[in-house]
Amino acid sequence: MLSKKKSTPIYFLLPLIIAAAIFIIYPLYKVVELSFYDANFLNPNNRTFVGLENYKWLFNFKLFNPNISYFLSAFLRSLLWVGGSLLLKLVLGIFGAMIFNSDRLYGKKVYRSLAIIPWAIPWAMAAMMWAWTLNSQFGIVNSILLRLNIINSPISFLSTPTLAFITTFVVDAWVGLPFMIIMILSGLQSIPESYYEAAKIDGAGDFRIFFKITLPLLKPVILTVSLLSLVWTFNSFDIIWILTKGGPLSATETLPVAIYNISFLFQKFGGIGKASAMTIFQVGFVTIISLFYIKTLERGEF
Amino acid sequence: MKKGLVFVVLSMMLLLAVFAFSDETLRVLVPIGGGYTIEDQEAIAKEFERDNPGVNVEMEYVGWDELWNKIVTSVGVGAAPDVMYIGSRWIPALAEMGAIEPIDDLVTQEKYDMYWETVWDTVRYNEHIYAIVRAMSTKVFIYNKDLFKKHNLEVPKNWDELLHAAKTIHDPKNGVYGVAMAGQKFISTVTQFQHYLYANGGRILDEEGNVVINDSKAIRALDFYKELSSYAQPAIIEWRREDLIKLFETGKVGFYLDHVHNALAAMEKGVDVGLLKFPGGPDADLPYSTVIVTDSMAISAQSKNKELAAKFINYMTTLEKQAEWDLTLGFVPPMKREAELPEFQTWYWKPYIEVIQYGYPEAVGIKDWEAVQQVIVDAIHSVLLDVSEPKQALDNAARIISILQQ
Repeated sequence: MLSKKKSTPIYFLLPLIIAAAIFIIYPLYKVVELSFYDANFLNPNNRTFVGLENYKWLFNFKLFNPNISYFLSAFLRSLLWVGGSLLLKLVLGIFGAMIFNSDRLYGKKVYRSLAIIPWAIPWAMAAMMWAWTLNSQFGIVNSILLRLNIINSPISFLSTPTLAFITTFVVDAWVGLPFMIIMILSGLQSIPESYYEAAKIDGAGDFRIFFKITLPLLKPVILTVSLLSLVWTFNSFDIIWILTKGGPLSATETLPVAIYNISFLFQKFGGIGKASAMTIFQVGFVTIISLFYIKTLERGEF
Repeated sequence: MKKGLVFVVLSMMLLLAVFAFSDETLRVLVPIGGGYTIEDQEAIAKEFERDNPGVNVEMEYVGWDELWNKIVTSVGVGAAPDVMYIGSRWIPALAEMGAIEPIDDLVTQEKYDMYWETVWDTVRYNEHIYAIVRAMSTKVFIYNKDLFKKHNLEVPKNWDELLHAAKTIHDPKNGVYGVAMAGQKFISTVTQFQHYLYANGGRILDEEGNVVINDSKAIRALDFYKELSSYAQPAIIEWRREDLIKLFETGKVGFYLDHVHNALAAMEKGVDVGLLKFPGGPDADLPYSTVIVTDSMAISAQSKNKELAAKFINYMTTLEKQAEWDLTLGFVPPMKREAELPEFQTWYWKPYIEVIQYGYPEAVGIKDWEAVQQVIVDAIHSVLLDVSEPKQALDNAARIISILQQ
């Protein structure tokens, strides 16, 4: 029996615990439960317990490509896609934050406010905007490149497999970049100026200062934002769906898109049970990566 | 005090009576886009409420893109609206999942005779009628007369002449394209390809339900489709058919396949428009072809207001209301007598109505359209991107569709 003093915090936490139970734990439980059933929307009242069959299906079911399972191909594609987007966000995020932190930049507040815009725009709208911006006929990007004679014919950003893959993660990076910049900027501003002054007195150049002072001191911020960004990017759906719907062919069919397809489009092969197994795999994978990140963060390693 | 109490009790009883007897609510799921607007739907709901006192129509709107998901999820959780506007291609899947029920009783002989026979084929599954058609479309080629005149081109009568016209007009360096084509992962890309497939006498399934999308007629159709695409605008995979009108309106496209309302839109923009019925291909028995696409209204199996839902559907599909709807939105009349109205006798309506007799429905017998659609788009993409030859792409599509049909 807890004393009154000790039990008091529980009362304050209770609303949060109840909300978490309703909005996080119960849905997650339902997904876990469904992953053991053969269930789909085509026959919602008739679900059958299949044990681990859905998890075996993940590695056995082949659809368009006879050499690799549908799930594994989407998963590997996701890893590459998330890696590309995250790397771009990190590199440009650090670079952008340093520019915004520079003493030589006038009107910093204005630029910082402008930089947040891509993040403030609803993702679906941002994707629509990019779809037209990159359109080979009317898009401004092709128009500029053609006028500057950099290209002779329009580039098909979204209709060739490799280019569509790169374009979608670049657009995703564009949307997530402001968050990265703002967070890294706050990290940069917390580095004492005296460190830089001391390094300069010792004759250190800009590159040495960056790699020996700036980057090491930014480690905690970089780890935190990259962890958050990793989770968000792994779940990114809107941008791909609006730009390419996972195509052309399956070039941009990442795991969230594949989960959607298995839930709603390929119900005969898949259904909500198998889609739940895919989801659990993704949640498990992202959780393991997150734990690894958190451990690294706690140990103060990079 | 006592009087006050009596007044309060009476008022409450009156209020209860109003709630209990006045509003019978009918939930109607309506897609928005593709010609359907919220304003039009709200006007219809108000009219029905006016003519049926005590009825409250609740319109629930969703984009066409999300309509299928909305239906399956609402059915899955037991909260399906009473009346659902659906793409008729979904009827087999919805019937199999028990989401909709046959409505043969609703269709009197008189009502049946009002429509073209092919229209009923789009809403029939396992010998039962599951919905009443609300909108129908056929498509013909819309061509730019000025570009044809400029190059001394006759109106094409067969596929060779079609290809020749596209090739002659095509001048990409000056931003002029022989033909405009769609290729995005979307229903309209499949419908576009189906025009070529049907025009050459091909089908997805034959009359016995066998998958024949990889027979010689289909392979030839896809081969031609690819060849024609060489004279289309760049990156056709980025384009939806719904957006091609923007390109055609610039006056720099020879021809493309579309609805009558877009032919009118192009005319308004100053393009000298001609219309050309889709000519039959080299293997075809018929001189022309089209794909009969319909949207229809079905009653949810979960509805507790089936009688009212039936009344609503009947109200919407009288000859008068149907004609008003089709003329407002530019859809092809699904009713024979409607097609005889003077408004449909103009030169631009005629080809769309004439091709009905050569048309074949979009999805007869296809059990899981959404999946089949993905498979066909994938086959088209693999050919357009030179990943597969038409035969290989269609063999693969046929293999997957066969599994889906089991």
